[in-house]
Amino acid sequence: MSRRDHTWYGLRVHAVADVDRLQRDLEAIFGPRRVSTRAVDLDTYSRDMWPRLLIAYRDGIGPGARPHAVVWPEHVREIVAVVKLAREHRIPIIPYGGGSGVCGGAVPILGGITIDMKRMQTLRSITRAELVCDVEAGLNGERFERELERRGYTFGHFPSSIYCSTVGGWLATRAAGQLSTKYGKVEDRVAGLTVVTGRGDIIETDGPTRALRGPNWTQLICGSEGTLGVITSARLRVNPAPQLRVFRGFEIEDIPAGLEAIRRVVQKGLRPAVVRLYDELDTLINSMSHKDPAETDHVLTPPVLGVETGALPAWPELQREERGFVDKLIGLAKGKGVRRGAMNFALGKSAMANKLFGVAEKVARRGCRMVIGLEGARIRTEVEAALTFAELEAAGAQDRGEDPGWAWLRHRYAVSYRMSPVFRDGAFVDTMEVASTWERLLDLYHSVREAIGRHALVMAHFSHAYADGCSIYFTFAGHAADTHAAERLYDAIWRDGMEATTRVGATISHHHGVGLLKAPYMAGEHREAMAIFEAAKHALDPDGVFNPGKMGLKR
Amino acid sequence: MSLRSEMIAAVGEDHVRDDVVNERAGLWITPGSAAEVAEVIRRANVLGVAVHPVGTGGHTEAPGRDRTERERVFVSTKRLDHVLQLDEQSLLVHAQVGITGLDLERILAPRGLSIGDYPPVVLTSSLGGIIAVRTPGKSSARHGFFEEAVVGVSAVLADGRTVHTRVAPRRSTGPDLARALCGSEGTIGFITSAVLRIHKKPEARLVAAYVLPSIDAAINAIYLALREEATPSGLRIYDTIEAGRHFDGLRLEPGEALLCAGTAGPTDLAACDRDLITSAVIAEGGRETDHALADLWWRRLHAGEPTPVAAPALQIMGTPTKLRAVYHAVVEEAARLGIAASAHISRFDPDGGLVFFTLGAEPHMIDVARIEQVAEAAGGWLLGARTTKLDGYLRALRAELDPRGIMNPGTLA
Repeated sequence: MSRRDHTWYGLRVHAVADVDRLQRDLEAIFGPRRVSTRAVDLDTYSRDMWPRLLIAYRDGIGPGARPHAVVWPEHVREIVAVVKLAREHRIPIIPYGGGSGVCGGAVPILGGITIDMKRMQTLRSITRAELVCDVEAGLNGERFERELERRGYTFGHFPSSIYCSTVGGWLATRAAGQLSTKYGKVEDRVAGLTVVTGRGDIIETDGPTRALRGPNWTQLICGSEGTLGVITSARLRVNPAPQLRVFRGFEIEDIPAGLEAIRRVVQKGLRPAVVRLYDELDTLINSMSHKDPAETDHVLTPPVLGVETGALPAWPELQREERGFVDKLIGLAKGKGVRRGAMNFALGKSAMANKLFGVAEKVARRGCRMVIGLEGARIRTEVEAALTFAELEAAGAQDRGEDPGWAWLRHRYAVSYRMSPVFRDGAFVDTMEVASTWERLLDLYHSVREAIGRHALVMAHFSHAYADGCSIYFTFAGHAADTHAAERLYDAIWRDGMEATTRVGATISHHHGVGLLKAPYMAGEHREAMAIFEAAKHALDPDGVFNPGKMGLKR
Repeated sequence: MSLRSEMIAAVGEDHVRDDVVNERAGLWITPGSAAEVAEVIRRANVLGVAVHPVGTGGHTEAPGRDRTERERVFVSTKRLDHVLQLDEQSLLVHAQVGITGLDLERILAPRGLSIGDYPPVVLTSSLGGIIAVRTPGKSSARHGFFEEAVVGVSAVLADGRTVHTRVAPRRSTGPDLARALCGSEGTIGFITSAVLRIHKKPEARLVAAYVLPSIDAAINAIYLALREEATPSGLRIYDTIEAGRHFDGLRLEPGEALLCAGTAGPTDLAACDRDLITSAVIAEGGRETDHALADLWWRRLHAGEPTPVAAPALQIMGTPTKLRAVYHAVVEEAARLGIAASAHISRFDPDGGLVFFTLGAEPHMIDVARIEQVAEAAGGWLLGARTTKLDGYLRALRAELDPRGIMNPGTLA
């Protein structure tokens, strides 16, 4: 018997399991090679990429919770069997995809069996006439897209985590790719799901939505983050691979003007694949990460503070006295190139952060960067691109040519791999992606920026635009004296950011999901409507075995 | 207190009456606000009285058979017909569910706004009916299935609690709870208002008509154009018989089909989409024909010009790969039964299209069940049919939210 008792993210955890017996039972289902209770595996599956966990990890503190066992199913019937086992023993099940989640959704806070889906990774079929494919949930995103591309299709879903996330993980969190303005978020592309529920049944939600009566089960299960069951395969809509790509950089006076320009484009019925608008600081930091190598003091690829690289301004002319702050900013942008102390000093003082921001706004007087891209069938894309660019220019944006657009495209996945230098230097960085209707988008921008800005350096870009609204992607970096202080600071940033978001009537997450991180704010997000989610939890997972303690559910 | 006095306490004497409407006898309640709906349901729940929501459009059906034979009330949304908020900046309208689509459209039109290119016949229903009951006709080639326009809903649960789902363009905060209420026919919650995406009136509208060598070629042409990302505002295919019937004097060669297509949007884009359809038609061996046919089709569809034919006898939904099979199976089976069957296909969206069959015989002479069987075997989906494979979960969901089973009992059961 192993017994563990500890406090974990505010939850009193008490997990007991007869591990030897559990291992025997699991081996009866999976054979000896696809079950592990080895410490190294349990440690690996103890976390995802939630930055709060990375702070402790960096500081050498071991995981607060581990699974009791990890299994790698290859067939749905094995999952059915493991659900049966888990129900009998009342052991949690935690579905696990790529482990790239940033909200702690895959953390086994009560231990249990982590089901790694990555061995179920077949793209089974593509139905040409329906433009629908049938794919297993464990397939890696990049391999999925490559496989589709080889056959002349695209799913159009390009999250920056594409190399380390799975199709099932996307569906479980309602993920968004960078081209969501054209292709929609992942939940917009689902024709049907196969799910093993908490009752141990295999259900399929397929069928033309409009011909099925009753609640929309597909939309009820998408986004449930493994709390209702595990998605084992999905029928997803695909597009013919794009014949043409057009990317362009624009510059516009300020954020309100930029948002107005984007709104005009999307409300005209034009569907660019991607529209991004960077605020002044994001624009500035972007620019520094992309300075001509000849002008920089060293030519190593500079790690950037979690910002995607994008359209590039020329180096702004500065007043002499502003140089000092800006040097620090450059240091931040380069991470490696600045002394740890200087950066931590900057991050440790929110007043300093605000001042830096003020400077950034001043120096970036020339405006905000936009990146816009279209792709798709040749003729229509050409027409749509011409209309889109004309509309942007009519709204006051200045064309900066193709290069900034292509530069963004080239570096678009880099963001996920640029966090470590910041962590290594003793700081932390995270992103907060919130969304609202156009009407309150600026309120959202100002209130969240102010809320985070009390604690940390914050910058933002606007991406994922729709006819009815847009998402804002805040990147923030903070620093504190020790692990606990850093965690407290981190929690304070999220608390204030989430409350500011809810207060203006926006949503607390556009595409990263909830997990543990946003669980405390789900009541504010959904209020009484949580009753419907709770009821779905009881209906699909009556014993509460699936991913307990997540998403603000009572169990 | 009696049921009647409870209801009077909830909505006032003027809005409670004993009545028989469409063979539905019982107490009819017409609450004037979402708060009154909540009060009605809360009191009904205490008494264990069934609550049947009733829309105000023309498509109300009798409620499902409630085996318990308990007392029941019909709650009409007739007085819930206000636009609560119009957000022109985000192109969203928040309206109570008793307003009909057409009335809402009349309010939006002067501002250059529209619910979208949905068939007006769909919009004769009240919003509540449109979003709470799924039928395959509620679709538009340009805007998709109507439900996709629903950004948020307010609804009353069985215990009288009111829920408002959060309004955001997209979100990643758990299941889409608004979509759980859509299509649930009043069994999970009584929807009192909804936030819908609306659209600006397009800069240009173009229509065109084409003749193709066969129904199959016409279907192929449509999917060819859609693959090139054309986004038509409307599409309809008529087989040879229906083309002659709908367009007086139009004589197509046997087997030929008529395709009418509309496009809309910025002028260049509308023209581009029309040209994409034209080239797809040519690739399938078809040709453009008299523009006046397309104009007439559009006027009938959207400007209320009467159509000189009776309502179709049968509607079968088909996914893109099944449309041809469904069409041919039904026509051939009808021929075997000695009936001339004809069809037009319309309401295309990414899920497929809807085949409207007309059968050349008196309704009582036709074995409709047999024909439906054949259509289903060919892969079609019948109107109002439903799969029962997830019924266990629906029952469990209802039991959680509505332990006394008062929410539209007998429906979806």
